[in-house]
Formats: sequence, C-alpha cells, structure tokens
Amino acid sequence: MITFEGVTKRYPDGTVAVDGLDLEVPAGKTMVLVGPSGCGKTTSLRMINRLVDPTEGTILLDGTDIKERNPAHLRRGIGYVIQQTGLFPHRTVEDNIATVPVLNGWPRKKARARAAELITLVGLDPALAKRYPHQLSGGQQQRVGVARALAADPPVLLMDEPFSAVDPIVRASLQDELLSLQAELRKTIVLVTHDIEEAIKVGDLVALFRPHGTLAQLAPPEQLLAAPADDYVADFVGFDRGIRRLSFVSTAGLTLDTGAVLPASATVADALAAGRPWICVTDGGRPRGWVDTSTIAALPGDTALGQVRAEPIGHPFTFGSDSLRAALDAAVLSPAGQAVAVDDEGVALGAATFDQLRAAIQAADGNDTHDTRQVQHAQQVPPP
Amino acid sequence: MMWSWIPSNWSLIWQLTWENTKLGVLPALYGLVISLPLGVLAARWRWVYPPVLTVVNILYAVPSLALFIALIPAFGLTDTTVIIALTVFSLCVILPNVVAGLRGVPASVTQAATAMGYGPLRRLVTVELPLAVPVILAGLRIGVVASISLASVGQLIGVSSLGYLFIDGLQRSFPTEIYVGLFLVIVLALACDLILVGVKRVLTPWAARPQRQPRRQQRRQELTGAAS
Repeated sequence: MITFEGVTKRYPDGTVAVDGLDLEVPAGKTMVLVGPSGCGKTTSLRMINRLVDPTEGTILLDGTDIKERNPAHLRRGIGYVIQQTGLFPHRTVEDNIATVPVLNGWPRKKARARAAELITLVGLDPALAKRYPHQLSGGQQQRVGVARALAADPPVLLMDEPFSAVDPIVRASLQDELLSLQAELRKTIVLVTHDIEEAIKVGDLVALFRPHGTLAQLAPPEQLLAAPADDYVADFVGFDRGIRRLSFVSTAGLTLDTGAVLPASATVADALAAGRPWICVTDGGRPRGWVDTSTIAALPGDTALGQVRAEPIGHPFTFGSDSLRAALDAAVLSPAGQAVAVDDEGVALGAATFDQLRAAIQAADGNDTHDTRQVQHAQQVPPP
Repeated sequence: MMWSWIPSNWSLIWQLTWENTKLGVLPALYGLVISLPLGVLAARWRWVYPPVLTVVNILYAVPSLALFIALIPAFGLTDTTVIIALTVFSLCVILPNVVAGLRGVPASVTQAATAMGYGPLRRLVTVELPLAVPVILAGLRIGVVASISLASVGQLIGVSSLGYLFIDGLQRSFPTEIYVGLFLVIVLALACDLILVGVKRVLTPWAARPQRQPRRQQRRQELTGAAS
C-alpha cells in the first residue's frame, strides 16, 4: 500500500507541482493518475521512487516512510516503466530485462533465465532475446520495458504514460495485456496518463488532478462517469460519459426476446406467426441474419427461412459477460434495431430491443454501481 | 623519384615509421585518459565545462612548434617534450567528444537507470560511458590522426620521426625522400584510423548501422520470398 500524506512539491522558482496531496493506493490495485499536463501527476509518481523528493509531507510504502530507505534499494523493489521506454540501447533484450536481478546480485545465468520467463509472460517472441532494442517495434520495446520492470518481481509498479507513444491499435492490445497481467500478478500499480479513456479502462481507482497539483476527484471509474464531482471533472471525462459508463453495466439483467429467433429450417409461415417485425434466423444455433417479415409475407408459407435473403446482423453480444455498451452498439448497428444475444459458444439466445436496453439502463441506475468492476474484467481478461 | 633509395634505406625508414607511430598513438591515448575524468566532471557539473573548454581552446590555438619550444626548458630535446605537447593537442579534440558523448546519452535512459536502482558510479561505468563510446572514439580517431601528422614537426627540435625525411629531402633537394615520408605518414594515419574503426565495431555491437543492415535483410527476404 502506498500512502501520500499532505505531500507538496514546490520548486525553487515558486512553482507548485503538487499541493497537499492525500492519496492512498490500496495493495494489489491499479491507481491511475490522470489530468492535463502540468497537473503534477508525473511528479507525484516520481516521488514514490524518490526520483523527486517532496518539499512537505510524507509518503509511506507499506507503512514505512520512504525517506528512511536507501534510494537505490527502495527503487529495486519498485518497477518503473516510462513512455520513451528508457531501454538500454547497448544491451540485448534479455540483458535489459535482467537489469534489476543483476543489480540485486543474481548470477548472470539465473538472471537471463528469469528474463526468458518474462519474455514469454509479456507476450514476446523468445527469438527476440538476443536482439538490441533498436531492432524492435515500438510496441515490442514497450513490452520489454514492462518485462524489465517486473523482472525482480517487485510488489509495486510505476508506469509513466507507458502506452502514449504507440499507435492506437497497439495501445489497446498493450492495455488489454496489462489488465490480464494484473489479474494474474496483483501488483500495486500507479499509472500516469493524460488519456481519460485509458484511465477508465485500466484503473481500479482513478485520481483526477486539477492543474497545479490538487485532486479533483478520486473514485472508481464507473463512479467518475456516473457522478462527476463538478463541472471540471465532467468536462474532463467528456460528453459521452453516459454511454461509456455502460461499459460497467452487465447485460445479465437484460430481458431477451426469445421469440424473435428461429432456425433456418423454420418456414415463412412460422416467421409470420411469431408476430415480430424482424426475425433472427440461425444456422446451427448461430445467428445468420435478420429477415424483415413484411418483405417475406408474399412468399409461399412453406418456404424455409434458410432460403430467404437475410440482412447481416452486424455483431452479436455475449449475454452476461459483455457490457450494456456492447449490447447498445450491437443494436445501433443492426438493421433491425435490435441486438442479438449469444452465449459463450456463440449460440443465439434472443434479441434485445432499444426498449429492453433502456429498461436495463434504468434498472442499473436504480441499484447503483456495485460489483460492476467484474464485468469489465470479465470482458477484457481472456479465459485462462 | 629514385626507387632504389627505398630498399637501401629500409632500416632507417622502418625506424622512423616506428618512432612516428609512437609519437602519434601515445599522446592520443594519454589525451583520452585525461579527457575521461575531465569529461565526466564537465558532463555532470555543467559550470565546469565552459572554463575548461576556454583553456583547452587557447592551448589548441598555440602553434605546435611554439609549444615544443616552451617545453624544452623543462624537458629538453626529448620524446617527452613532443609527447606532452601532442597530448595537449589530442586532449583538445578528445575532451569535447567525451562531453558530447556523455551528454548525448538520452535522459530517458539515465532516468530509467536511476529508477531501477543504479548508484551514480555504476550508472556511469555500465550505462553512460558505454553509450558514449561511439562519440568518444570518433574524437580519438581525430586525435590519433592529428598526432601522427603533427609528430613530424617534432623533427624541428630534433626528435626523430618521419619528419626527418621531409627536412633531409628538402636540404638535399632530394624529392624521393619527401614523397616516401608523405606516403608513409598518410598510410600510418589511415592504418591507425582503420584499427579504431575496428575497435568501435567490437566495442559497440549494438550501434546500428541503420541503413545497411535492414536493407540487406529486406533484400534477402525479397529474394527468398520470406514474409517479415
């Protein structure tokens, strides 16, 4: 656990970077510090491993004042990842990763064996072990940076805009991987970003800073979206926070219309008898497409639905594990204005209309936001 | 050009070449040894560098012959006089490269090293100096080549080097000797330079030869049809 108690950083020229910060990072959680540039989030991060010393206040790591600790020893127990990677250009990937174990006095061979484990852990090709950093892509370099920070298995990980320098697709995959690593390793992570989307995606807790180093709000991401403390927070979070908040609401409470789903072997007569404007036709249980009942009324009643032209469904959502945001998106993209729910095997369970989605959203507002964190994790952590 | 002069004076030529090599290489190495601690200080405490650089530049502006003569009262007409003077000149070209090399280490790298728990000395020796090697060696190459050519001036105070061939050839109006001397100075300088290029390759396997290598790989992949 990391505790900031009344921490202030004032520079000799009078600039106040951090102003009386009180903050508690619970063990095993990811705390994201987010805010505009110059809000003191990076300074706060660097005070944890004593790259910057506070002017006032104390920082405790598991109850011990970090000022009491030898800086070099303190730092070897804290992983550090930065945007520009800071990899050593003159060392191979494996030797970069082995840095802290070697500093801790491990024999080189053992340290390299540890590096090999980490290369696999962060999803790199083991063949890259003998390469130099400049021979890797930006995303690969950032993975090496994460592996290097984890090499000595530190309980705490500090990440300073770790994914800002890579393109959006690589960034998203690195974020997903951080979430799955964290689900496994349960480190105490402090991550700095200026990207509120990233904060909401990877944080268990989000600390939103105002310019000049004060906290605007400290809350779990769903609460930040649902109940911003003031206009500053609401502005920073963005205008579509209502929709983004749905990422944290499960589809488990959604009522599905099972009557709108028919197998390909069913007939046009069956479809008309169902009394729905659109029928989702399935093939071996999987959704195949939407059929507009008004256009098939003229066809002979015994025509199999498999013979009828169907509109593509867009994408389905997985009932229970996907969020309402995914379901809403599926409904928006569907020609029928309804989302198709499938189970984990991809078998169609039923359809959800906008009305049903709205009912689920209102229900979620009613019973607040408890246990919604699991929804996000379930969605982003691949099954083992 | 009298070719027969060369074989008949082989041992003289050989001896002068050797003397010249010593007078070229030793000062550059001494210059490097002095530049390293000075450069480290100048890179760490920025205010140290401007005064040091001023002194170095003034020394560099002194004509080599004048410096030899100034040193004669203390060291006589000896190798030492020439070596000291040339060490000063080497220092002048190597020191700025040591400083530039150390300052050129990316801040993110030194910061990451500190954050991982390196102490200042260990960081200097295992991270910063290795990364500065290419720039330092570039300075050393200039230092060696400059010393090799300046060494001939030492002949004016009687210290033996390939410069003997120039002075003797001029006095006897015997151009062959001058051509041979000129040729050997150039060959010697090129040889030392090549050796240092080799040293750099060995010391910095990590330094990309950025254009060439990937292109070669690309070619190979095109030829074999291998996917990247």
